[in-house]
Amino acid sequence: MTLDWWGLGLQAINVLILVWLLSRVFWRPVAAAITRRQDAAQVMLEEGKTAQAKADAALAEVAETRAGLAAEREAILAEAKATADTAGKAALKDAQTKADALIAAARTAIDRDRNTARKENATRAAELSVEIAARLLGRFNTPAVQATFLAQLVEAIAEMSASDRAALIASADGTEIVTATDPEDAERAKIEKAVKDALGGTPSVRLVTDPDLIAGLELRSGHFVLHNSWRADLENILKEVENAA
Amino acid sequence: MNSPLDSTILFQIGPVPITQAIVTTWAIMAILVIGAFALTRRLELRPSRRQATLELMVTTLDTQITETTGAAPTAYRGFIGTLFLFILVANWSSLVPGIDPPTTKLETDAALAVLVFLSVIWFGIRAGGVGGWLKSFAAPNPVMIPLNILQSLTRVFSMFVRLFGNVMSGVFVIGIVASLAGLLVPIPLMALDLLTGLVQAYIFAVLAMVFITSAVEDGTPNSAKIDLTPKKKDT
Repeated sequence: MTLDWWGLGLQAINVLILVWLLSRVFWRPVAAAITRRQDAAQVMLEEGKTAQAKADAALAEVAETRAGLAAEREAILAEAKATADTAGKAALKDAQTKADALIAAARTAIDRDRNTARKENATRAAELSVEIAARLLGRFNTPAVQATFLAQLVEAIAEMSASDRAALIASADGTEIVTATDPEDAERAKIEKAVKDALGGTPSVRLVTDPDLIAGLELRSGHFVLHNSWRADLENILKEVENAA
Repeated sequence: MNSPLDSTILFQIGPVPITQAIVTTWAIMAILVIGAFALTRRLELRPSRRQATLELMVTTLDTQITETTGAAPTAYRGFIGTLFLFILVANWSSLVPGIDPPTTKLETDAALAVLVFLSVIWFGIRAGGVGGWLKSFAAPNPVMIPLNILQSLTRVFSMFVRLFGNVMSGVFVIGIVASLAGLLVPIPLMALDLLTGLVQAYIFAVLAMVFITSAVEDGTPNSAKIDLTPKKKDT
């Protein structure tokens, strides 16, 4: 067994050359690629951390802004509520005042209407009473009543002043004796005679029928009326009642 | 059959005989360099499957260097990695019919051992200077100087003999079996030879790394010991 020294040297040189070549074309490029990727990853990691920090800061800012907004919202809500309360109270007070005024006005109107109605009712009642009384009295228009009215008429004429009687006698268009019913001739003559006697002189009288008198005898001329009937009495009563109401 | 210890001289360049092992070595070199160049032409930031495979190889080698020696792998990657790749491809070249692996020849294994021996000196001097390298022979005490010198020779010699013996014997056995029963019978032995070739390449590379690291550590002053912690960006 011999050792080929030339061969040994050549193989050593071959391996050295291979080491050099592979270092250049294989080990270094691949290692550089790995390093490059690690550097890129590191850069991306740093960028990610920076972005994360920025995002955290932005989030904190947003949270702070949101908190500020919430506080501002609360303040605005409180202010709006206070304003609404004030406005509501004012409106309520105003409405209360108006309502009180309306109630007062309504009460006044009601009182006025009530008084008016009461007066109207009283008037109607009085009128109704007068009408009832007139109808009732109409049924008692008897000769005795007629005689009483005649007596009262004669007495009233007697109580008149002399000048009034003279004026009545001198009346150009004559004097009317108004009765409620058309009397019989005898009764008629009796009435005319009694009136002429009471007046004295020669007055021109004529007998007129007016059912509205109900019962009674009245003396009328152009400028003079002597009331002497239940109608006149009832009207007097009605006036007194109305005046009393 | 020829003796496995004999080298077949193909041609002669002046006084230098060019054996088949040298030519095979050139072919392996060409394949490795061209293949490496082709594979590493376009390395992107976003790796393809091919690039990822290459990076896995480099990362695995770096991890092995770091775990074996504790040193940063950058300075040793090219030498150790190339040793491993060359020995592995040379060992597996026995699968090609008619090719004898260069590692079955004494010259190739001796050349590899000599390179490891010289690299130990080179890295030792580079780390601690000539004084530091010489001082490494006095570790742990000067009494050990003769033994350390003897050890530095014998351990390299043992590497050379181990590689040569394992690979040569494998090829020799396969040759004998093939001459007796040429069909199918040698296949299990060839598979075993593949495993042996891988293991021997690994052992050779790891031992070279251990020897280099030993020289570097022993020759470096205590205050300037190499950082055994892997750095972040070491690749």
